[in-house]
Amino acid sequence: MQTRMIMGRYVEGDSWIHRLDPRAKLGAMVLFLVAVILASRGLELSILTAFAVVVLLSSRIPFTRYIRAAKPLWPLMAFMFIFYTLFEHGGDIWLQWGSFRITSEGVLLGLFAAWRMFLLISFTSILTFTTTPIALNLGLESALKPLSIVGVSAQSWTMMITISLRFIPTIFQEAEKLLKAQASRGADYQDLKLMDKAKMVLTLMVPVTVGAFRRAEELVMAMEARGYVLDAPRTSLRTLTWRAADTLFLLLFVIMLSVMIVL
Amino acid sequence: MIRMEQIAFHYPKREALFENLSLHIEKGQWVSIVGPNGAGKSTLAKLINGLLSPAAGQIQVDGLPVTREHVDEVRKKVGYLFQNPDNQFIATTVRDDIAFGLENRAIPREEMLDRIQEVAVELQIADWLDRHPASLSGGQKQRVAIAGLLVLQPDIMIWDEATSMLDERSKQAMMEQLKELHQNRNMTILSVTHDAEEILASERAIVIKNGQVAADMTPLELFEQEELAYECKLMPPFALALSMAMKKKGCRIAPVQDERELVNAIWPS
Repeated sequence: MQTRMIMGRYVEGDSWIHRLDPRAKLGAMVLFLVAVILASRGLELSILTAFAVVVLLSSRIPFTRYIRAAKPLWPLMAFMFIFYTLFEHGGDIWLQWGSFRITSEGVLLGLFAAWRMFLLISFTSILTFTTTPIALNLGLESALKPLSIVGVSAQSWTMMITISLRFIPTIFQEAEKLLKAQASRGADYQDLKLMDKAKMVLTLMVPVTVGAFRRAEELVMAMEARGYVLDAPRTSLRTLTWRAADTLFLLLFVIMLSVMIVL
Repeated sequence: MIRMEQIAFHYPKREALFENLSLHIEKGQWVSIVGPNGAGKSTLAKLINGLLSPAAGQIQVDGLPVTREHVDEVRKKVGYLFQNPDNQFIATTVRDDIAFGLENRAIPREEMLDRIQEVAVELQIADWLDRHPASLSGGQKQRVAIAGLLVLQPDIMIWDEATSMLDERSKQAMMEQLKELHQNRNMTILSVTHDAEEILASERAIVIKNGQVAADMTPLELFEQEELAYECKLMPPFALALSMAMKKKGCRIAPVQDERELVNAIWPS
């Protein structure tokens, strides 16, 4: 079960992108997001795609992994395409049946929306693929620090993320154990039809959720017992170092965004 | 030294668990806390560490009152090892998890690295420092959890049924670890347990029953009081059970704890 989950997992490697400071990668992702939002024409999207492909390939992670990363969101992309196709009525009419119409603009906008979503998910996966959870967390804490002015606690947010990342494998293990227990009593997940599989997943939700709450309670005690006090000053075992390559990487995205704006 | 005076405690919307409970534990002692299920053994341990607060009475650890103002100081002195190691890891690598307590105490990074290395060598976990805690076995996880406590250099260690989820070999390894800590570091150990061998390794057994200290004796005395031991769901190890049964039948034999001692007691060389 764990191995099928591609999105959000670190992929071991030693490319130049792996070695970048997580803050640089976070900044670059924000710039890329803005560029994707600004890109509304085929030309702009094509340039962005070409740029993304070059960066992704340089991470030395198989390209198919990035494509698979967007897989969980394929239904959403399909929905966006259908939505635009059905409700956008500009351009030439390609098909008409009563009040129901499919137009050239509707199809084009639908395609662009799905393309944008796919590009965004696949590309931003580079952040989690090339950054260890610890480094990502440190980067986030550092990036969120200025928000303390408006009362947002960067430490609490990053602690929440750390704990979530820590517990993902444990919760998957627990779910897997429950699946095996059910299989041993004759309800094998593999043999079931799609609807029955969905029902079985629902039956798993209750024990897994109850287990997660029980764990959370004990974890809070374990954290307190080891001296954790919310928002108290702490030191960190890990430190981040900003290098020239990080500035260059960020600059690359600034140039890309400028080109998008000029176009 | 741990001093509990006239403690009262109850969980919300439940009957009182402790009323007027008093207890003293000397520095460097190894004490087993035993009792029937639901007697409040773990609650007692959590009160000492300030994880729970009593409704009445006073608790002191090394002269420090366990109150809101001093609880951080108290926790520096008391390490708490939980039953399920999976529920006490915070970080995604063993190294970062061991560092968690040091980070909370704002220890400088260089000192942190030294202390982690030291404790990793001592507990023989240096090879696992970059592994995810979830990838370790039960015994390995508990060893890492101990490292996370030892790195904070506590004077008192509380083990809350810490060996109950382990296989026999891991349990033995943990017991050896505990003995070493007690002997080499003169650590005060408070062990909440149902495990007969763990109880017999300690110096004192305190039985908690009906919200009171029902008995305070040596572990051997506890096992000799069969009814009380049965009530606490304790089963003596084979050698002890046999030697006690032989003594009852009139054999001149002292209760012994392991098979070798038993053989020597029956056939002295």
